[in-house]
Amino acid sequence: MPIYAAIIYAADLDWSAPEQSAVMQDYKEFGDAAAAVIRGGAALYPAGTATTVRVTGGKGGDVVASDGPYAETKEVLTGFYLLEAADLDAAIALAAAIPGAWTGAVEVRPVLPMM
Amino acid sequence: MNQTDATRAALIQLVRDEGSRVVATLIRMTGDVQLAEDAVQDAVIRALQVWPVSGLPDSPRAWLTVVARRRALDIVRREASRDRREVEAVRLTQLFDAEPSDADVPDDLLRLIFTCCHPALALDTQIALSLRSLCGLSTAEVARALLVSEPTMLKRLTRAKQKISRAGIPFRIPAAPELPDRVVGVAACVYLMFNEGYAATSGDDPLRRDLLDEAIRLGRLLHSLMPDDAPLTGLLALMLLHDSRRDARVGADGELVLLADQDRSRWSRSQIREGVELLGEGLARTPGRADPYVVQAAIAACHALAGSYDLTSWTAIVSWYDVLLTVQDTPVVRLNRAVALAARDGPLAGLAAVDEIGGLDGYALWHATRAVLLDRLGEPVAAAAAREAALALDSNGAVRRQIVAGSPA
Repeated sequence: MPIYAAIIYAADLDWSAPEQSAVMQDYKEFGDAAAAVIRGGAALYPAGTATTVRVTGGKGGDVVASDGPYAETKEVLTGFYLLEAADLDAAIALAAAIPGAWTGAVEVRPVLPMM
Repeated sequence: MNQTDATRAALIQLVRDEGSRVVATLIRMTGDVQLAEDAVQDAVIRALQVWPVSGLPDSPRAWLTVVARRRALDIVRREASRDRREVEAVRLTQLFDAEPSDADVPDDLLRLIFTCCHPALALDTQIALSLRSLCGLSTAEVARALLVSEPTMLKRLTRAKQKISRAGIPFRIPAAPELPDRVVGVAACVYLMFNEGYAATSGDDPLRRDLLDEAIRLGRLLHSLMPDDAPLTGLLALMLLHDSRRDARVGADGELVLLADQDRSRWSRSQIREGVELLGEGLARTPGRADPYVVQAAIAACHALAGSYDLTSWTAIVSWYDVLLTVQDTPVVRLNRAVALAARDGPLAGLAAVDEIGGLDGYALWHATRAVLLDRLGEPVAAAAAREAALALDSNGAVRRQIVAGSPA
C-alpha cells in the first residue's frame, strides 16, 4: 500500500514540557487509533533548537550553519508521520485526525516507493 | 457543408462523445489517466481512418473500448520491457480479459468526474482537467478556452495527471457520508466553468460559447447520472435559464446588452421551459433547507418569465435574495439584492443598500453599480469617480466599454 508523509506545521511546542500534557494526550490517542497504519515518524524539539545548514558554491564549498529553522513562520514544522493509506482520500482522513491539523496544518505528500 | 463534411462532422462528434466514456472505463481498468487518454486517442484516430471506409460498427463504444485497451496493453508491454513493469502488464491482461459492459459506463464517468473535481486539485486545474478528460477537448482547445498558451496548459495538465497518479487521488465514487460535500465541489467546478463563459473576465469577447456549451453538457451529464440530487438539478436549471438569454445578451456590435434593453423574443423558449421544469423539481426536493443553486435558478426564472423589464416582479426577486442570504450570505449576493431593491424601491434605497456592503472595494461591479445609482440620483461627480474605480478593476474589453457607457451588465 502507498505510504504518505504527514508533515505537521503548528504552533511551536515543546513535547517534553509538562504543560503540553493535554496535546500529548491528543497525540497519544491518535497514535493508538492509527497504530495499524503508522509506519514511522518523529516528534521534533522546538524550532529554537534548529540549525540550518547550507554549503555555498555547491558540493565541497563552505559550510554555513545558521541559527533557527529554514523558514521563520508563525507555524513551524513540529514533526511528521509516515502513514500507510490506500489512496489520497484515506490519507486525508488520517491527516485530519492528527491534532496538529486542528490548530495548524498537515501537509500530505506521497512517498516515493523503494525500487 | 456538403454531405461528406456533414458526415465527417457527425462522425467526429460521435467519436468525441463516446471517447470520453471510453476514457473513463480505461482509467478504471488501468488506474492511469495518462495511459487511458493516450490509448483512447489512438483508438479515436484509428476510428476516424477505418469507419469512413468500413462503415459504423454496431456499437462504436465497444469498438473503441476494445481497440483502446489493446493499445493500452501494447503501451504497457513496451514500457515493461524497458522498466521491468511485467507485473503491471500481467495485471492489465487479467483486467482486460473481462468483456466490457455498457452497464459500467455511467459509474465510470461518475468516477472520472469525482477524480477531475477532487478537492486536492486547484479549481482552475479541475476545470482544465474536466474540459480535457470529460468533454474530450484537445489540449490546444482547452488552452484556447481558458486563455492560456498551449505549452502552459500542457504543463498544467501533465502536472495534474502526475499528481493524480503519484498522490493517489482515487478513481471512485465517494462514500455516502462524504458524497454531498463532494457533489458540491463538482457543482462548483462546473458552475465556475459556466461563469467564465458567461462573463469572461478577460479577453475581448464578453461570451465564450465553447465554455458555456461544455458546462451545460457537463451539467446535463451530472443531472442524468444523479437525477435525485437537488443541487445538481438546480445547477442545470440555473445554467439553462441564464443561457436562454445568450443570443440577446450581445448586440450586433459585439457589445453586452443590458437586461432592460434585451429583445426578449430572442430568448430561447425551449431552454426557459426546461429550466423552469427543473426548477420545480429542485424546489420540490428542498422543502426544508434552501439550496443556493435552486434559489438562484428561481431568481433567473423570475427574469425569464417576465414579459418585459417593467413587468418584472422585483418584490419576488428581492424575496428570493432574502432566501438566498439565509444559505449563502456573501457580499456579492448582497450586491445583487441591492440592485433588485433599487429596481423595486428606487435608487436612494438601492444606494443605501449598496453602501452598507463591506468588502467589495476590489470588485468592479460594486463600483459600477454605485456609478449608475449616483447618476440616477443626479450626482455626476461622485458617479464619475465610481466609474473610474470600476474601470481600474475590470479587464474584459466589452465590460469596460459597458461601464463607460453608463451601466453594468
